[in-house]
Amino acid sequence: MKKTLSQTLAITLLLGASTLALAQTAEEKGLDIAQQVSAQNDGFADSTSSMTMTLINRSGKKSVRRMRGRTLEVTGDGDKSMTIFDEPADVKGTASLTYSHAADADEQWLFLPALKRVKRISSKNKTGAFMGSEFAFEDISSQEVDKYTYKYLGEEEVDGIAVHKIEAVPAYKYSGYTRLINYIDKEKLVAVKVEYFDRKDAQLKTLTMSDYEHHDGKHWRPGRMEMVNAQTGKSTILEFSDYAFATGLKDKDFSSNALKKLR
Amino acid sequence: MTSHPDHRLGTGLLCRALLTIALTLSSALAQAQSEWSRRGDISFQTQFFTDNSAHSATQSTNVSLSGNAEFNRAIGENGNLAISPFFRVDQHDSKRTHFDLREFLFRYSADSWEASAGLGKIFWGVAESSNVVDIINQRDAVEGLDPENKLGQPMINLLLLKDWGEISLFVLPGFRERTFAGEDGRPRGSFVIDANNAQYESSNEERHIDVAARASGAIKQWDWGLHVFHGTAREPLLAFPDFAPFYYQMTQVGVDVQATLESWLLKTEMIYRSGELIKDHAQLVTGLEYSFYSVAESAIDIGVVAEYLYDDRLEEANTVFQNDILIGLRFALNDEQSTEALIGVITDLDGGGDVFTVEASRRIGDSFKLTAETAVWANTKGDLLLSQFENEDYIQLELGYFF
Repeated sequence: MKKTLSQTLAITLLLGASTLALAQTAEEKGLDIAQQVSAQNDGFADSTSSMTMTLINRSGKKSVRRMRGRTLEVTGDGDKSMTIFDEPADVKGTASLTYSHAADADEQWLFLPALKRVKRISSKNKTGAFMGSEFAFEDISSQEVDKYTYKYLGEEEVDGIAVHKIEAVPAYKYSGYTRLINYIDKEKLVAVKVEYFDRKDAQLKTLTMSDYEHHDGKHWRPGRMEMVNAQTGKSTILEFSDYAFATGLKDKDFSSNALKKLR
Repeated sequence: MTSHPDHRLGTGLLCRALLTIALTLSSALAQAQSEWSRRGDISFQTQFFTDNSAHSATQSTNVSLSGNAEFNRAIGENGNLAISPFFRVDQHDSKRTHFDLREFLFRYSADSWEASAGLGKIFWGVAESSNVVDIINQRDAVEGLDPENKLGQPMINLLLLKDWGEISLFVLPGFRERTFAGEDGRPRGSFVIDANNAQYESSNEERHIDVAARASGAIKQWDWGLHVFHGTAREPLLAFPDFAPFYYQMTQVGVDVQATLESWLLKTEMIYRSGELIKDHAQLVTGLEYSFYSVAESAIDIGVVAEYLYDDRLEEANTVFQNDILIGLRFALNDEQSTEALIGVITDLDGGGDVFTVEASRRIGDSFKLTAETAVWANTKGDLLLSQFENEDYIQLELGYFF
């Protein structure tokens, strides 16, 4: 009995697909999960939120910064985002605008309210501390799949949550890290813990993300992020509130003119 | 017992009315508080002059108090009102004791355009040492050497928002005269500028209506601006012998460009100015900034700035920047207190002198900031303008409370 061409094709494809699945390398599996995590986040259109950042030094002394942020989802490229500072009072009204890109360098502007000046700034500064905190700029910038290469390391448990353990190596040559280890909640497909390794491949920082809430029945967002620096003993807690999605923000709300008008 | 229902009713009504008014007022107040956003500072400044002056103001110390605020609120769905008052009370210089509205500006925003009217503050430019294209506002020069101190400018502005950037059109009805240090003020030159007797080329004097237009945008790593201005020059010529400011009429076109290439910033501002009473001329500031981030694995960033300033009138120029170089170092510690410092030296390539400046600041607690500043004039023998400041070196400390 002769098989028809379509039958042959179908069988070949089926066989091929199962072979692929069986032979999926650690790299492919890592990338696959990273893409699922990213897809889980897709389709939010835009979002706004408030943030409180608490810096805690070695002796336990705290200082607080408050800011508000808005993000516009850009399909096929990095997102656009704006942050305005409310505290401390001497930087109140200072605002930043970032166009992040997967492949190219990000574009970034800063608004200085006392001078009414919008300044284009270098976005190469990925490793610098954000507002004197334990978060580097690259930790809080738009997370795109293409910014890393991945490797699946196995399954584990973090605080009773079953997780995928995935190593991510930054593609960006000026990154401050040799690698990150992401612990991804298997059910929700969100990161619950990230370990950062410095240029000497020593563990530098650990980020724990908790108090996840499901917004609009679609998007998981952490209510709390805590970054602990193992080398300095300092830590920073980021708490998020007032999340809103699909608020109708447009491209023009992310221009240098909009940056001047942000209050 | 006789009851007075009418009276009771009356009292009840009054009480209710009072209660209603009180509630309405308190909610209106609470609403007003939430409707106005505000930011600003109250700052106490002390200046120490290290040399005895060569002129009439002989004090070696000076104190002053200043206040800066910006209040902002939405009016209706598309309107916004910004009110930014400023004041300074100065121990010695009556000219430096002054009040100004930096802004009293109403803005209406539509989808693809905006219109504003009132007193406003506009910044144009990209450079660090001097912004030759920044023409809209007059300098509040009595405030200090920093050209970023500006007086509120009366304006009607139409902003057209385009896919590629924006076009901004200005009608500027009313001119603000530059402020200068008075007889008892320091730092100042040897001669007291007679700011009360300003002269104008235009017979309309300070009521001359100036016009300006600027187009600007960003293409990838390039930010650009093009402008034209017609009207009264912001910096006066100083007429001999009484040093009364003379404000001439002029037309200028200019361009400003910045390229942001990873750690490099390349910046250029250029203008060409012409007028009946002046020699047509060009001014240029061009240079670069390079940043070293996270130096030696620390949180510290160090920026190096080098800029060249040129005026093609050279020695005939009424600015001190006719053929000069600025070298600057910017330190940002990126610590909890946002400690920063900027060290700069401007050198006249024709041997006219050097000006050294240092500015450093650090937050104290959550609401205070301490700023230290110094300026030193050296080797100024070769420059008529700069040599007047030879004995005016100062150290300035400022403690500000921010809200």
